[in-house]
Amino acid sequence: MIAAMFTSYPRTLTVVAALLVLLTLAYGGAMDAVYPSLLGVFEWLETTWFGVIGKTWGAAFAFVEAVHLLGLALLGGSVLAGDGRLLGVVLTDVPMQTVVVRTHRVFVFGLSICLATGVFMACGVATKIYYLPVYWFKMLALSAGMLFHFQVRQPLLSHDIQSLNPVVVKMVAVASILVWFMVAATGRWIGFSG
Amino acid sequence: MNELIHNLAIWLDDTEWSRMLHESYYMYNWVESTHVLTLMVSLGMLFLIDLRMLGLALPDVPASRIAERLNLPMLVGFAVMFITGILLFYAVPVRTSQSLWFRIKMVLLAVCAVNAFLFHKRMNESVATWDTEPRAPSRIRLGAMLSLGFWSIVVVCGRFIAYDWFDCDTSPNTLIDIVSGCIDGQTRF
Repeated sequence: MIAAMFTSYPRTLTVVAALLVLLTLAYGGAMDAVYPSLLGVFEWLETTWFGVIGKTWGAAFAFVEAVHLLGLALLGGSVLAGDGRLLGVVLTDVPMQTVVVRTHRVFVFGLSICLATGVFMACGVATKIYYLPVYWFKMLALSAGMLFHFQVRQPLLSHDIQSLNPVVVKMVAVASILVWFMVAATGRWIGFSG
Repeated sequence: MNELIHNLAIWLDDTEWSRMLHESYYMYNWVESTHVLTLMVSLGMLFLIDLRMLGLALPDVPASRIAERLNLPMLVGFAVMFITGILLFYAVPVRTSQSLWFRIKMVLLAVCAVNAFLFHKRMNESVATWDTEPRAPSRIRLGAMLSLGFWSIVVVCGRFIAYDWFDCDTSPNTLIDIVSGCIDGQTRF
């Protein structure tokens, strides 16, 4: 049965295994060993151009924060439209495949904006976020989200969606919405911490 | 006018609920987080509609269908943002009412509302002739570009409200003080 499951969902099980390894490393003591050596990297990030600009010009940092939010809006909109369609909540009279394929492009664009601006912002406050647990939660959630989206959701939905088990499709949609909500919520919480 | 707004803000600030909301760490943060995260619903849907008109998203789906089907979740998102926005204002009324960025944001929100009205009016008048085209006619595309631009500036202004660069008790610039509605001799900030 396990062999049959692995044959049916090899990518999904690989991603789940990768996430379990990541969680084990994060909470199983391995992170404690790696964590001190990362401080040097975060201190260096603050000395880069991004770090210096982010620390010196508050207005530049605030502007990039706003662009980060615009990227988040694009990402969120594409996730909610695509997964909402899979759940049968929005755009129900448009073929699933069309919505999924088209919103994926917007998703990649939104994610690219979020990643680029996120790196800039992280450089500006690197030594602060290093000590924030919520920042590491966000990185974990972001890793899970990207792994899930590109290694599970997209490969699965590249097949004819009508031929897939509807329960699996709906579970993928719910998981996608939850993981990206988690990424956004933990990101927001960074602002309240420290 | 500015004195009236200032007095109204002081009256709101003196109410028990305003103080409680402002001083409640978790409730204030929940309200603010909801306000920001609802961007994904409201602006997310709006951007998809605008990008569709520009031919950059879902070009093979009829434009009217995108606009109609995403309208409801977008409006629900805006309703939540509106309510949480009022609560955020209510929690810090004096400083917010004299924030340059808040004032620009309010003007832009009115401009966005007018643009949205004109956009929908023009779209409904002509959509039958171009509904399945990948790109909308130039007038509609202009409306979509203005919508994207104005809402982007609204988000930037909203983010800038958190910063105290031009607050009445810190800003030495006369012009900014006038636009922000700072009052000579005011003791509440």
